[in-house]
Amino acid sequence: MKRVAICAVAQHKNESDIWYKRFQGMLLDILEEIQTKTGMDFSEQRGVRSVVSCSDDVFDARTISDNGVTDVLGAHYREEEKIAQEGLNAVGYAMSIILSGHEDLVYLAGHCKESQPESRNMCTNLGYDPFYGRPIGLDFTNVAALQAREYMHKSGIGDEHLADVVVRARQWASRNPYANATELVEKGEVMASPMLCDPIRRLHAYPVSDGAVGMLLASEERAREFTDTPVWITGFANCMDSYFLGDRDLSSNFALKKAAANAFRRAGIKDPKKAIDLVEIMDAYAYQQPMWLEGLGLCDEGQGARFIEENGPATYNVNLSGGMLAGNPIMLGGLYRAAEAVLQLKREAGEHQAADVKRALAHGTTGGAGQFHTVLVLEI
Amino acid sequence: MTEYYGSKLEDIFNSMEDRFRPEGAEGVDAIFCYDIAGEDGGKWQVSVKDKELRVEKVEGNLKGCSVTIITDPETFIGVTLGKIDAGEAFSSGKIKVDGDIGLLTNILPKLFTKYTPPAKDVTSKDIIDTVVERFRADKAEGIDIVIGYDITGEGGGKWSVIVKDGYCSVKEGLDPNCTVTMQMDAKVFVGLNLGLIDGTAAFTSGKVKIEGDMGAAALSAGMFERFKVGVIEGAEELISLKCLPSIDQRFATGPVMGKWFDGLKEKKFYATKCPVCGRTQIPPREICALCRVRCTDFVELGPKGTVTLIDDVYYASPDPLTGEVRETPYAGVYIVLDGASEEEAFAHEIKKEDIDRIKPGMRVRPVWAEKRVGSYKDLLYFEIDE
Repeated sequence: MKRVAICAVAQHKNESDIWYKRFQGMLLDILEEIQTKTGMDFSEQRGVRSVVSCSDDVFDARTISDNGVTDVLGAHYREEEKIAQEGLNAVGYAMSIILSGHEDLVYLAGHCKESQPESRNMCTNLGYDPFYGRPIGLDFTNVAALQAREYMHKSGIGDEHLADVVVRARQWASRNPYANATELVEKGEVMASPMLCDPIRRLHAYPVSDGAVGMLLASEERAREFTDTPVWITGFANCMDSYFLGDRDLSSNFALKKAAANAFRRAGIKDPKKAIDLVEIMDAYAYQQPMWLEGLGLCDEGQGARFIEENGPATYNVNLSGGMLAGNPIMLGGLYRAAEAVLQLKREAGEHQAADVKRALAHGTTGGAGQFHTVLVLEI
Repeated sequence: MTEYYGSKLEDIFNSMEDRFRPEGAEGVDAIFCYDIAGEDGGKWQVSVKDKELRVEKVEGNLKGCSVTIITDPETFIGVTLGKIDAGEAFSSGKIKVDGDIGLLTNILPKLFTKYTPPAKDVTSKDIIDTVVERFRADKAEGIDIVIGYDITGEGGGKWSVIVKDGYCSVKEGLDPNCTVTMQMDAKVFVGLNLGLIDGTAAFTSGKVKIEGDMGAAALSAGMFERFKVGVIEGAEELISLKCLPSIDQRFATGPVMGKWFDGLKEKKFYATKCPVCGRTQIPPREICALCRVRCTDFVELGPKGTVTLIDDVYYASPDPLTGEVRETPYAGVYIVLDGASEEEAFAHEIKKEDIDRIKPGMRVRPVWAEKRVGSYKDLLYFEIDE
């Protein structure tokens, strides 16, 4: 079996409003960082000939928006393909290009500025159909509230549990130089923050964020040309649930369970509780942290409340980056998770480095209330 | 006045008062002017203030317009009825707008309910024209007849409806082999078909004269669906939704594009210069895509240059920032500004008066706006340098 390595990652610092730089400038910064870290170039002989990008046309307000950034992707006169899907899937796509044998080196970069449109909720509202979903006002925030209510009821989670999740996320985020929301918060502050859509409070929701992520992926034969610590992709899978909310059992984690089972099978994992040393999950809203952990099998079904009370997140090294709750653009929530998991495995995570991490999991999701889930298993 | 799509200009303006929605006019203080060219055209002024409406036909010049719509009767009626796509009419220059276009896109639709053309009188021909589609083959099994209609008076005519082997056809004129012929006034014919006149009464009072096989006349009634006014079956289900998804954007220029816009204020063209290959890029960019190296050096180009390509354009899309539509035709030009590397042309527009004379290789110079604010509009156009 061929293996694919992530050789290096570069993260643009997440901020709520990078007004002073256009996304081209952000992409160039991470391209330069990857080149500095790995010495890779774009020569026709031994360099990168294939680039995978990730962006969203609605957030960019441009049709086929990758066409306007090929230069800062290094993709000029090279192959380039865009993933218009949550960025963790770009890792799977880049991996496939290498596994197919077509290329042995792929540069990957995603960007998104949530601050550019007047409202990210208006952008995700456009994810729904024009006749019905849009006019009734569906967006990824208020749809999440439906799921939150159902899941919290099922797992016994209350406002205090959610506050615990947010307080912990901020504590870790304050040690992560790339995180957006790094100010520490008190439990009472979280519980007093205004409702966005009951039961989701403002501090339960990830802050509006601008960011960009780059990675270099290589075949097993070539990985060590670019790094002494290649991180191996051992499992990747995703799963799509129904578009229509009414067709879904919102608290069942159906798609996530399926994606996780496939990724674990490919990685040879039988018991994730024993096999996974660190987890980065895309928790755009506080309730999602315990819920997605249930879906991944790290928390027992319906036991989210107890899991939080018994410090489950600490036991499993969940989101030592601060997670999505500390702020990433929605298109890149999973891609940032993968970048953080790679840093941990390479022991380059600095102040938030965990001890003895050999196998890590990165998770991404998109679509209202987790319609689509992606799971990536990484090993050193 | 000529009708287009079953409506006249007057119909649309005269019905405005009935269609006005005061609740949609909250806080609106605007004068909408319509300059509709041609023999069938005219000028109208529609004023809205304090939730009150005034519609006037204007002879002479339109005055005090907040926004003016300039078009022709066919386009105006077509767009009003949704028969012509407004966006297309706009970009092909059939509709031009002067003034605040936001009033048209955002305010106008709230002021009035939708215009529907006046109900038309049904004619005998309308009824005959739908005979074939109203025919019910299942009710005509084994029937072989020719029904003649001799419709007299205004809107009358002669037709024969032939039913044979489960098929129905219509021809003009009375067939010599008519099984039965019915003669009546057009008003009676229409009234019967609309269900406004009772058939038996019309016959007994002599308003309908029947010649030939009376039984065939009775049969004919059951073989056709009722005539309905203006209803196309299934149309209600085939709705298309027209809406404009709109999310305001705030695009960053960053230090590189920012430098470019700053330069325009001072009538200067700044390009980035690649530190490796030395080529210039205008508008400037963060990176030289060929050398894959960050560009931080700026050089000033022009202001004069040489034209390399010309592109005559006969339609215009609205300016996405202002909604204004420029005059057509206009000519885009590619210009290599003095000091630029050979292949790095800069696209802009040539002065209207120079369109017919401009040729590749000609020298041009920029014409700047008097007041420059650091926008693309600071540069009005290029003109031939003579």
